[in-house]
Amino acid sequence: MDRLLPLIQNETLKIWKKKRFYVVVLVLLVLIPIFTYAQMKIAENNQKNFRDWRSQTMQQISDYQNALSSERIPEEWKRFRRIAVQQLQYYLDHDVNPRSPDGVTFTRGFMANSVTLFYPLLVLAIASDLVSGERSSGTIKMLLTRPVRRWKILFSKLVALTLYVSLIVVASGILCYLISGAIFGYGGWTMPIFTGFLINGSDVDSAAVHAVPQWLYMLMQAGLIWFSSMTVAILALMVSVLVRSTAASIVTMMAAVIAGTILANMSSSWTSAKYVFAVNIDLTGYLAGSPPPIEGMTLLFSLLTLGGWAVAALIVSFGVFTKQDILN
Amino acid sequence: MRNIPSSNLWRTVSIAAVLSTLLMLTGFGYAVKDMLWPQGETFIGESPTTPPPENKSLSASSEIRITAFGDSLTKGTGDATGEGYVKQVMALLTEKWDKPVSLTNNLAVNGMHAGRLSELLRGDKGYEYAISQSNLILFTIGGNDLFQLATGKSASEATGEVDLDKLKEQLPSGLQRFKAVIERIHEINPNAQVVYMGLYNPFYDIDELREGSLAIQQWNQEAYAIMHPYSNMTLVPTFDLFENTIGTYLSSDHFHPNHDGYAQIAARIVQSLD
Repeated sequence: MDRLLPLIQNETLKIWKKKRFYVVVLVLLVLIPIFTYAQMKIAENNQKNFRDWRSQTMQQISDYQNALSSERIPEEWKRFRRIAVQQLQYYLDHDVNPRSPDGVTFTRGFMANSVTLFYPLLVLAIASDLVSGERSSGTIKMLLTRPVRRWKILFSKLVALTLYVSLIVVASGILCYLISGAIFGYGGWTMPIFTGFLINGSDVDSAAVHAVPQWLYMLMQAGLIWFSSMTVAILALMVSVLVRSTAASIVTMMAAVIAGTILANMSSSWTSAKYVFAVNIDLTGYLAGSPPPIEGMTLLFSLLTLGGWAVAALIVSFGVFTKQDILN
Repeated sequence: MRNIPSSNLWRTVSIAAVLSTLLMLTGFGYAVKDMLWPQGETFIGESPTTPPPENKSLSASSEIRITAFGDSLTKGTGDATGEGYVKQVMALLTEKWDKPVSLTNNLAVNGMHAGRLSELLRGDKGYEYAISQSNLILFTIGGNDLFQLATGKSASEATGEVDLDKLKEQLPSGLQRFKAVIERIHEINPNAQVVYMGLYNPFYDIDELREGSLAIQQWNQEAYAIMHPYSNMTLVPTFDLFENTIGTYLSSDHFHPNHDGYAQIAARIVQSLD
């Protein structure tokens, strides 16, 4: 442990002083009010048109059913709708509101929708130049000439990165709750949420469904977001070791993440796409019981795939970083 | 940042970050445990507490709450403006009585038939709730029972393949299912005004199929007989609108009414209400 803690402290403070975390917070401070406003407009409209959540849920079910009866709609899309109908019906049958308008519910939705693109982007803001930044500024030579083993340096960067990923997820949740709560109210912590829907083709098996209070659901969801963000962070660390310039490193990672999201939306026929890490990023979908992007994917599968990518990336990062010649 | 010494900053950041990491790990661990070894458990929320509407005639009630359900006719298919008869009834009622008129739900689904509807009314809490919360119920059903089952295709696509003998064969079983629907509506809400829109023959202008009108009229007559015991239920006839004026009131799919056709139906429904 000698020298490791000071190294971690050094890396953590470097990231802080580079004001990367400020950027993340600033982006959140701009975006969250925009989404809150949009959500407020939707809520106002619903309040005008529906007596209560039951009528609203009923109407949603019947709208989906009408879409299902149309022959123009692609089968794949119908499958999603069929599943949604069965889940909404489950909520209705058990007298539970699927989405009450409050700060906690908004935060839950915001975080779940952000997992595929927004969180990776925020993570990249910090992870992308961890190594490549030192190279372009030349400070890497100072770092590597100190009498410290190279793996310890990379390891301290990894620990600092992990700390910031946790901070990003927690800070986004807190900011979102504080901002949206000002509009929707700060309640909703104990509202029951159903989880445990099992998807078989286009049928929903509700044998394992159980209700959890929303605060626990949020905690579980944040944990899953943290796991997928960590995978993105570790991959970004690898790219930043391999690529000389920070811009190239951000572009490479962003391209991979975006390609994965597009694949997830269209690759139902190309099943081996499920081994791509970015297709597995949306872990929160398993919690909510939404159908996976490719049939046959499960939480365990996605965790193993993401874990596999992360371990491979770590091996490559440490292998290259400890052997690499630092020129120029 | 300069005024905060680095060691203080480090302490704050590291404590916050380590706590966050522990929190995330807990959440992650709990999520994995909860999802890989889920334990099913039934949870029932609170039953609805909103009071049902007052038990008075519509003209005496302080507000009118409508629930509509049934097939594509209630959905408003064929109306280019998307209003259908339900929205037009709402507008006419507001004009007639000058009191708040609201639509609790329009639950109509294209292709709905009486058998399915009767299932939904029995098994679906949402239907039960919507109907019990309303004092005016509008519905259409039966078209798909006769045409769809007679041709094996959805009603609007069946033109030209309608087999009149099969159509007649469908009558008794269709009416039985219709009876089940009516009985269930009465069970859920015996006080609301219920208006059922009678069937018409969309193929009146095709010579070989004009005879279908006789089967349709038989349906309407039997349906009237089924509804007759309940004084709060009304059957509004529509068949005459789609005979000589079929070109004016039918939409281009030659099955559903167009906007003007729905307007005529809406006017009739409103005339029948008090």
